Amino acid sequence: MKRILPLALCLIIGILMVCQFFIPHPVSTQFNSIINKWVVVLSAFALVLGIGNLTNHHAMTIKRRKPDWQYSLVTLLSMFLMAIIGLFFGIDEKSLYQKIYLNILTPLGATMFALLAYYMTSAAYRAFRARSLEAGLLLGAAFVVMIGFMPIGQFIHPQFPNFAEWLMRIPNMASQRGILLGVAFGSVATALKIILGIERSWLGGRE
Amino acid sequence: MKFFQSLTRIDRRLIYLILTVLVILPFFLKFHLPQNIMPQTKRLYDFIDGLVPQENKAALVSIDYTPQTMPECHPMAISILTHCFKKRIPIIGISFDPQAPGLAIEAFNTVVIRLNACATTKNDSIIYGRDYIYLGWKSGRIAALMEMGEKISNVFPRDYYNNNTDSLPLMQRIKNYRDISIAIILAAADYPQEWLMYAQARYGLKLGTGLTAVMAPKYYPFLQTGQLSGMMSGMKGAAEYENLLLKSGHTTETGKAETGMNSQTLVHLLIIMLIIIGNIGYFFLQQKKEH
Repeated sequence: MKRILPLALCLIIGILMVCQFFIPHPVSTQFNSIINKWVVVLSAFALVLGIGNLTNHHAMTIKRRKPDWQYSLVTLLSMFLMAIIGLFFGIDEKSLYQKIYLNILTPLGATMFALLAYYMTSAAYRAFRARSLEAGLLLGAAFVVMIGFMPIGQFIHPQFPNFAEWLMRIPNMASQRGILLGVAFGSVATALKIILGIERSWLGGRE
Repeated sequence: MKFFQSLTRIDRRLIYLILTVLVILPFFLKFHLPQNIMPQTKRLYDFIDGLVPQENKAALVSIDYTPQTMPECHPMAISILTHCFKKRIPIIGISFDPQAPGLAIEAFNTVVIRLNACATTKNDSIIYGRDYIYLGWKSGRIAALMEMGEKISNVFPRDYYNNNTDSLPLMQRIKNYRDISIAIILAAADYPQEWLMYAQARYGLKLGTGLTAVMAPKYYPFLQTGQLSGMMSGMKGAAEYENLLLKSGHTTETGKAETGMNSQTLVHLLIIMLIIIGNIGYFFLQQKKEH
């Protein structure tokens, strides 16, 4: 029963959701609306589960004094402090919550991401070598797109930006469309396997 | 031989130092590099510029970027909000990324304070509830997207400031996607694809997007099919939009994307030069080895 019930629910709801997508009847719309509301509420519960897991994991790390446990303490303190400030002192544009967000979290996040520029520049210099014809082609395309998208590209040659745009619009688009179609067909196949109960790994546990 | 070896082994600390100088320089030395406007940015601009203010129509702006990608996406948000407000098109703001609301209210605040400073009457002013609202963040993105097609206040019964959504004057006129002229998704993740799959395909909602440069190539097929009405691609897209607003007289100066673009251009030039230097060194070293 533990396995049959979820499988049956998945089959029924799966088929009903596929059918309702193509039936613009008020009953079908109403059903869709109810299911959507359920999903929104259930997603919020997933967040609670995530916070629970995070708390449990870091609490254990602190309790057992594992290496770098101090970072876990900072994580937990930050998480609960922000939650308390937000819950009790508001989240509008003049609140303490917003001030902390804009003056601490935002610069920290931007700094972490900005470091990527240093690594990318250094890595591009060290690793980007025209070792073969394919690598040379990749290098050439990267140069054209980079220069074409820069404001100075038009000064090197007036057609440079157009050529860069052509590379993005034709060869890039063709390959992207191929990938998208592949993913779409794969998604349909996986969805059918789940609805029909062929793919059961989402149930968890052992087979 | 030693010279060519040195070309392939430039000290990374030197690279970092040059990079730092090149990033900082444009913030002190103001210079203007003319932007060549990409067609997708122009399409988005033209679409919004062509909208006629209507009593029962609004633009929906989904602000879904995070502090990490703020330098690229925040100027886009500022430009889009400015353009819509200047055209007197009401805006409904939402977020599906939990990190985004802080940046969203910062963007709204910046634009509203700037525009209201120039307003002379109440009618000229941008007023919360009448001209714009921000509904905050919601979990269950895909289901929420579909449900908004039926009724927006079903998904967001209360706005970010805990007001009853249906009680706001703007939301008494705007019910669902039928009342939305265009939805613009400013994202640093794959959110626009879900908008395309559910809101555009099912409800025929017009979509525009502003994405980080690394994500933009994926969305070219949707531009070609017309499913996207336009796109801003990375900091360049944001700088282009700022320039379009400046040229049309909606603003009197460009924003942060223009300055950022100057830094980015210098850094790109550095990367290109380093790759060329590295490859010259590599090429001659290989030649010597073969001999």
